[in-house]
Amino acid sequence: METIASVVLDSTGVNSINELVPQETAPVTFLSGAQALMESLVAEGVDTIFGYPGGAIMPVYDALYDFQDRINHILVRHEQGAGHAAQGYARMQGRAGVCLVTSGPGATNLVTAIADALIDSTPLVCIVGQVGRKLLGTDAFQEADVMGVTMPITKWNYQITDANEVATVLSKAFYIAQSGRPGPVLIDMTKSAQIELMTKPFRYEQCQSIVSYRPRLVPKTEQVEAAARLINNAKRPYILAGHGVQLAKAENELRQFAEKAGIPVATTLLGQSTIPVDHPLYVGWLGMHGNYGTNVLTDQADVVVAIGMRFDDRVTGDASKFIKQAKVIHIEIDPSEIDKIIKADAPVVGDAKEVLKALLPLINANDFTVWRNEFRKYDAIEHEQITVPELSSTEGKIRMAEVIDMLSTKTNGEAVLVTDVGQHQMMASRYYQFRRPNSLVTSGGMGTMGFALPAAFGAQVGAPDRQVVAIIGDGCFQMTLQELGTIVQNKQPVKAIILNNNFLGMVRQWQQLFHQRRYSFVELQNPDFITIARGFGMDGQTCDARENLSDALDTMLAHDGPYLLEVVVEKEENVFPMVPAGASVSQIRLS
Amino acid sequence: MTTYTICIFTENTIGLLNRITIIFTRRRVNIESLTVSETERKGVSRFTIVIKHESREEVEKLVRQIRKIVEVMAVFGYLNDEIVYNEIALFKISTPLGGKSLDVETINKQYKAWVVYWGLDYVVIEKTGNNEEIFDFFGYLKQYEILEFVRSGRVAVGKTEKGLVEYLPEADWAYYL
Ligand SMILES: Cc1ncc(C[n+]2csc(CCOP(=O)(O)OP(=O)(O)O)c2C)c(N)n1
Repeated sequence: METIASVVLDSTGVNSINELVPQETAPVTFLSGAQALMESLVAEGVDTIFGYPGGAIMPVYDALYDFQDRINHILVRHEQGAGHAAQGYARMQGRAGVCLVTSGPGATNLVTAIADALIDSTPLVCIVGQVGRKLLGTDAFQEADVMGVTMPITKWNYQITDANEVATVLSKAFYIAQSGRPGPVLIDMTKSAQIELMTKPFRYEQCQSIVSYRPRLVPKTEQVEAAARLINNAKRPYILAGHGVQLAKAENELRQFAEKAGIPVATTLLGQSTIPVDHPLYVGWLGMHGNYGTNVLTDQADVVVAIGMRFDDRVTGDASKFIKQAKVIHIEIDPSEIDKIIKADAPVVGDAKEVLKALLPLINANDFTVWRNEFRKYDAIEHEQITVPELSSTEGKIRMAEVIDMLSTKTNGEAVLVTDVGQHQMMASRYYQFRRPNSLVTSGGMGTMGFALPAAFGAQVGAPDRQVVAIIGDGCFQMTLQELGTIVQNKQPVKAIILNNNFLGMVRQWQQLFHQRRYSFVELQNPDFITIARGFGMDGQTCDARENLSDALDTMLAHDGPYLLEVVVEKEENVFPMVPAGASVSQIRLS
Repeated sequence: MTTYTICIFTENTIGLLNRITIIFTRRRVNIESLTVSETERKGVSRFTIVIKHESREEVEKLVRQIRKIVEVMAVFGYLNDEIVYNEIALFKISTPLGGKSLDVETINKQYKAWVVYWGLDYVVIEKTGNNEEIFDFFGYLKQYEILEFVRSGRVAVGKTEKGLVEYLPEADWAYYL
């Protein structure tokens, strides 16, 4: 380990660590807080950090300089980008994404991504610089009460004011972020704690448990048995699989369970790709713009097996009318979700994988063909009234559905789709035929515009072997488009498709349907996106005509490196089916 | 409206009060009173929070949200008849020369309150009891000039035989007792 003779200990008046140790013996060197942080990250197996430097985090950046061979730091263009990129990375890797930013504005820029990660249960470890300990609370330059700001949007946060704390706090941070229901944690580190030397040798021990925090992974037997009894007696059951299935990496268990019990599987938005779209038991997704059959038949099921999902109001519609007739089995790792929105007849607290493993031997082999076929009837209606017209237009502008459908075919349903928020997000979810697990990265709970471009970049870093395609609205793109620079600088072959309707489409749709077409501030005067991409050094093209779409997609997919494809789409297209906000799911509209 | 007493056992760390109260604020639940102190176990704090709510279900959800905080070890919600509880009140009463003299016997015997400080022209009387008892005494004292009146938050222990601390996770927490 290198000596740290250059470190100045201003508070003690000692100029270098070597003054503290007898010179005749081999010099014992203690790490600075910043170096301890680097060692901790390495010990935790972190290979990538998304960050942006600044005054209050400079000692850490200085330490990072010596760790470049072990830790890949990616310089983003805005801290929100760092957060979303870390989210994309975390989703692909199944472990915490790490962000490193400076105090004050650096930290507040990260806030949106932290909140997004909390609601979508994405593990993040955010390390934030803070002013020196003596300046805390004095309104010092670039001081913001980041602890206070992030308290309600983190799973845990902590302020390090002493270099000796670094290793224990970091190990706790990773443990909390990644265990139980994953989520973001934030470490606010004073500049003095970064600079000061530890007073004891550095030791890192991975945290295995915390007294006050004991997530239950293995479910209680009685709970599993109660659930199994309900399942075995069901006549019209269905499974509602959420993001928790993916977080628990329980896709195989879900499949085995569904196949043995013969139960149809619906998913939430974030639960998509947990089961292949072409699986005979898959019946679509549920929610405001989900599938017709799943929404309508929700009101006819007698048992609903909800796995790793939290009954968001975009799923339930009017929750007071949601699955009233059904017995609800709620499999959830976070006990505070049980009975929060929907009362569970059989709650099972545990990790989805563990619960499904425990359930499998207890359930009877079954087959609900008649019930399953009911979904197919509705599918046929949806197909005829919505899918076919959307996919078979021959005139007018290209429609969003056509783009996604063609992309799905060309990528064989195997790409990682990263979507932004709006109509294009719903269209991407509706028309992409997911075949592989863990293939949809989207901002579900927060609905954060600007998510896709940085998240796609992070996903590509996290999954270098997969084809990553971002689907972005023209509005969304302009919220984080500066991350094109990050993508280019890091040579990541992200493909981004802007579905340009010159509108804040989703808001316009609501204005059309519920505000008498009073289009209040939703039309955008857009820049030339391709020129912008070129400015950043990224290739791209605009596709305006149906007959060129296939070639444009081929060019994009074949391109070696990142690529931006702008597709000019129908301006006033609406996403259907739709459950109007506050209505019950069976009131789903087809037009 | 029912009164609920919520007892929260936590690690003793900076900022936790904030994290806990945010949960009440976010759900627009008003805190009637709040008392915090370290428990018989070193490093374990106990929050006693009193709220009024019309829905038991909502209170249960609230309790679960609190339990979710990483540093929280255990949370219990109680109805009044499930706990032994008290508050403490201090009354500063003006006793000017030649003014109405204090009936210390009634104060002691009937109201079980004590004069804890004699000032030059005032006294401080301490009364412990539940809300009702304290306000009953307040009514009695109105005949004097009350200079100051302050009431603590509720402190409470559950009526279950073993004591709630038994439910805390086994750990290397040192006992004070
Ligand atoms: C940061 C943020 N601001 C505002 C919104 C509200 N919002 C939701 S969708 C949407 C329109 C998105 O427009 P665009 O990106 O063009 O996508 P489209 O709906 O047209 O596909 C808006 C403004 C949001 N979700 N996030």
